[in-house]
Amino acid sequence: MADPSAPPEAARLLAQDPLAAELPRRHMVMNLGPSHPAMHGVVRSRVELDGETIVRIDPEIGFLHRGFEKSCENVTWTQCLPFTDRLNYVSSILNNVGFSLAVEKLCGIDIPERAKYIRVIGGEVHRICDHLTMVGAMALELGAFTAFLYAIEARELLWDRIAEQTGARVTTSYTRIGGIERDLPDGFLVKLGETLTRVSELVEEIDKLLTRNRIFIDRTQNTGVISAEDAIDYGFTGPCLRACGVAYDVRKTHPYLVYDRFDFEVPVGGRGDNFDRYAMRMEEMRQSEKILRQAIAQIPAGPVILDDWRYVLPPKPAVYGTIEGLIAHFKIVMEGIQVPPGDAYAYTEAANGELGWYVVSNGSGRPYKLHVRAPGLPILSSLPHIIEGSLLADLIPTFDSINMIGGEVEQ
Amino acid sequence: MGRFVRMSLLGVLIAAGLCLWAWLGYVAIDWAGSATFELGWGATLGQAAAAIVFLQLLFVMILATLLMVAERKWSAAIQDRIGPNRARLPGLSRFSLGGIPHVLADALKMISKEDFVPAKANRLLFQLAPVANLLPILCLFAIVPMGPPVPVRHAFGVLFASLQIANPDAGLLYLFAIASLAVYGVALAGWASGNKLALLGGVRAASQMVAYEVALGLGLVGMMMTTGTLRLDAMIQSQSAGLFGTSWFPAWGLFVQPVGFLLFFAAAFAETKRTPFDLPEGESEIIGYFLEYSGMKFGMFMMAEFVEIITLSGVVTAVFLGGWHLSPVLDDALASAAASLVAWRFAGPPDPGAAALTLAVFQAALFAVKVIVLCWLQLAIRWTFPRFRYDQVQALGWRFLLPLGLVNVFATGLCLLLDSSLGLLGALGLAEIALVVGATLWSSSRPAALPVAAAGGH
Repeated sequence: MADPSAPPEAARLLAQDPLAAELPRRHMVMNLGPSHPAMHGVVRSRVELDGETIVRIDPEIGFLHRGFEKSCENVTWTQCLPFTDRLNYVSSILNNVGFSLAVEKLCGIDIPERAKYIRVIGGEVHRICDHLTMVGAMALELGAFTAFLYAIEARELLWDRIAEQTGARVTTSYTRIGGIERDLPDGFLVKLGETLTRVSELVEEIDKLLTRNRIFIDRTQNTGVISAEDAIDYGFTGPCLRACGVAYDVRKTHPYLVYDRFDFEVPVGGRGDNFDRYAMRMEEMRQSEKILRQAIAQIPAGPVILDDWRYVLPPKPAVYGTIEGLIAHFKIVMEGIQVPPGDAYAYTEAANGELGWYVVSNGSGRPYKLHVRAPGLPILSSLPHIIEGSLLADLIPTFDSINMIGGEVEQ
Repeated sequence: MGRFVRMSLLGVLIAAGLCLWAWLGYVAIDWAGSATFELGWGATLGQAAAAIVFLQLLFVMILATLLMVAERKWSAAIQDRIGPNRARLPGLSRFSLGGIPHVLADALKMISKEDFVPAKANRLLFQLAPVANLLPILCLFAIVPMGPPVPVRHAFGVLFASLQIANPDAGLLYLFAIASLAVYGVALAGWASGNKLALLGGVRAASQMVAYEVALGLGLVGMMMTTGTLRLDAMIQSQSAGLFGTSWFPAWGLFVQPVGFLLFFAAAFAETKRTPFDLPEGESEIIGYFLEYSGMKFGMFMMAEFVEIITLSGVVTAVFLGGWHLSPVLDDALASAAASLVAWRFAGPPDPGAAALTLAVFQAALFAVKVIVLCWLQLAIRWTFPRFRYDQVQALGWRFLLPLGLVNVFATGLCLLLDSSLGLLGALGLAEIALVVGATLWSSSRPAALPVAAAGGH
């Protein structure tokens, strides 16, 4: 009895012919990274290619793992701050602010108005820096070197302001529990306004070079697409989620600091592709500038840190001149801030999404446990889902637009 | 102001230098030609040898090395940077000389680097690939006529000296034949390196060059039909007339064949493998087919790129930009200027030979200036655009440039049938230029199609 699924006679004969037999094929497996121009930080991607089509991609993180959470358990709460700088090293003030907010929530303290404004100013400047880096890197890796250098020029200008404000360009450690480390220098706000004008000129220049560039649009539109449902399932937040059409911005939905006093809009995309993720960044830079202009106009005078010696180092005259000051200084330096036992979760809108801080204290002066919800990790984990089946060349804008920052993903 | 004066002075110096180079070239080519003729070897041998020295070694190679610095300086100017200015000449350490000493520094660096051959490479092919890449590209320039033929009277008769190495009747066919050889070097480099990324680069380069070879040819077919010749000097000669019967509007290929110009320029740009067509390199994706090359072998790939730029500029100048011609009126003015210069310099009876030589020197310098302007245009494009994706480049080549080229050939044929005086073709060309410019202006005046919709608060 003939098997109906057997091939017809001619095909069977053809299959026996060694000349007509299909050639053996196998996929090319390639390592991109850990040292590769498109792998930011040090990420290794094991890519399985069929021609130039990506069959499978396996991003491997961990080259930059520093044991952030464990390190924090061994130092006082204040000493955690320099570690937080090194999470998302492009926008460190946003990390500082998030960590401080979590600890302050646990302590139940409210910081002075001026400090809130200064935190917003530093944070928004760093948000612009982060977006500039992402936009510039994307342009660079698509071959538009010029747009990259415009972005870097703008970022340098902002970093100059950050350096004046905090004393450091990259690793700022600017906040303290209960306020910020130092007040703004003289004439800073005027200078910042001028810098912002120049930066927005450069941003518009980049916009002209890229946003309507046919090649750039072809490279980014409809590549690296993720649907809103998938994005939520993976845990997307920030610009990458908003590019899918979900208007979720912590600054709007759960305002912290003084964000409820500013008039700004949350840009939302539609397709969830690389171009939308790029456009989100461009628009958010404009909105951040809007926030900064309002903050510059509204910022009140006053202290920048609490006058509560349980949490804040006393001023030096008090340390040298009074016994109370000396003791408070000694206790904070030696034992650390006595955060009441309990746990707290605080979340802020960092440059790449929701930056969550879960802190647990047992009242010992050091964190008992500390966990960071880095926005980059869930986004990076969706990379195989986004990119498998598309071309190798699409990996580049996709990897750029999700803006994976090694420091925060690998901690 | 000081900068303007300095730049103007530099321009005058460059023009004077080009004139001096052309004059020396003509004299040397004529001398070598007559010398070999008298030896009984024929004038062509000496003329070609001297032309190789003056065109390939002096013009192309010097311009290519200067372009390397020019690219760095010009990209720096685009990008708000200063650009290379650290390398200094001994004794002149106060002057950066526009970064030109970096040519020497780069050459020294490349020569003194380790000549590395990967263990998995095919040794012979790996060594051969840079040569196979550079050689055809150097050969390409042989048919570019840099200056008009000048009759020089000798005891044995009249010799025509011309700033051109070879002038085969096949002309542009030689160009196509040699240009397609260059792909071997790149494909070999990618394959012989024994590196997956380089292999991808080599495959990309091969497919890209095959795809654009067709458009490259079709872009020139229109001009071949219009001028009825394959020889570049004859093409230049037929562009010296005025269009529409005027004497001020030149019948350049650019005006009678704008589509052909666009096709050829785009395709030739793709052949140079520079952004936006730098997929074989794609430094952020696959690093490129020359990934494993170091030292001067890499330098040869780089040199090939710049020589290709110059060759492309030379061919475009000859075929589409009227070669050494401006419009007929300006040509006449240049000729009378040359004649009066000769009359002022050599008092006595008018010497038609000297006047023709002076005019030819001016025209050769004019050709060189056009080449340099086109090189500048290519650098500006290189530093402004992102790169295509692999399939997009293929789609552009096969689905857009190829049909466009075919349509252009048919339209050109039709116009020539109806009106052989180029008037109709010129009108069509101007209409096409107006269409392209209009479409560009229209699309750039529209607001960008951003998907951003403001969602104000919750």
